[in-house]
Amino acid sequence: MLNHYLPVLIFIVVALVVGVVPLLMGASLGPHKPDSEKLSPYECGFEAFEDARVKFDVRYYLVAILFILFDLEIAFLFPWAVVFDQIGMMGFLAMMIFLAILVVGFIYEWKKGALEWE
Amino acid sequence: MIITTILFYLFSAILLGSATAVITARNPVYASLFLVLAFFNAAALFILLGAEFLGLILILVYVGAVMVLFLFVVMMLDINLTRLKEGFLSYLPLGLAIAILGVLELAVVFWTSPLGHIPAPGPIPANADNTRALGVLLYTHYLYPFEIAAVILLVAIIAAIALTLRRRQGTKTQSIDAQMAVRAKDRISLVNLRRPEQ
Repeated sequence: MLNHYLPVLIFIVVALVVGVVPLLMGASLGPHKPDSEKLSPYECGFEAFEDARVKFDVRYYLVAILFILFDLEIAFLFPWAVVFDQIGMMGFLAMMIFLAILVVGFIYEWKKGALEWE
Repeated sequence: MIITTILFYLFSAILLGSATAVITARNPVYASLFLVLAFFNAAALFILLGAEFLGLILILVYVGAVMVLFLFVVMMLDINLTRLKEGFLSYLPLGLAIAILGVLELAVVFWTSPLGHIPAPGPIPANADNTRALGVLLYTHYLYPFEIAAVILLVAIIAAIALTLRRRQGTKTQSIDAQMAVRAKDRISLVNLRRPEQ
């Protein structure tokens, strides 16, 4: 089984090399003449006024967490589809109940307007 | 099999190193990126064990969704680190007590249960199919916990909506269905302006 993953491992190694070697070449071959002006932060000519972090609307978080919940639901569908020929009617009905419970949640969030962006 | 052993130690070493970096990194953004690296290496360990489904789901759900959310919150949120560190010394005794308690609990679990004496996994059979085995168990033997998982997901959906959904007053939005349903006679009324006869 593991030899099926050899191409993936080779991909990871190649991706690491492609990502790291240019940085190393840039750091080692390029000229280094730092001075205080070069190293100071630059923001359109101004000194930076404030931190980049601000309070943001909690609705972004709501959209993200709804995405995660339905992502988890999909994760349960993969093994179900693989063993669909073995589990029979019982397994089919189990998944239908599972999906029905989550559709209740989906209808709730739709009707509540959680998917709308005022 | 020597290559698998080398890969196991490589991935484990990176996993331990990045997990240490998660709790020692000063910048929370770096800490969550190190956590992503730790998840990737844990997924690689799962795949080395033959649990390919678990490994890929770890990447899909944790790296693809949960860590993106963490990173998003950490990067955007208004966290003042100096103010967070102010009460460090006063919280230290309580934190140490909880840490010692946690270590003791883990030690008790490992010493008294068969969890500490699991034999090393043998070589993976050539026709082993992790996804299939998991599916057969989950949809026959563990049907009830599976449905409970659905209910927990439902609770999470409703809780997230109930906690965060606020209708903001005074926003200007289009109401598309009302705009599409309007008829000409609702908008235009013809008024007869002829001067009355004298």
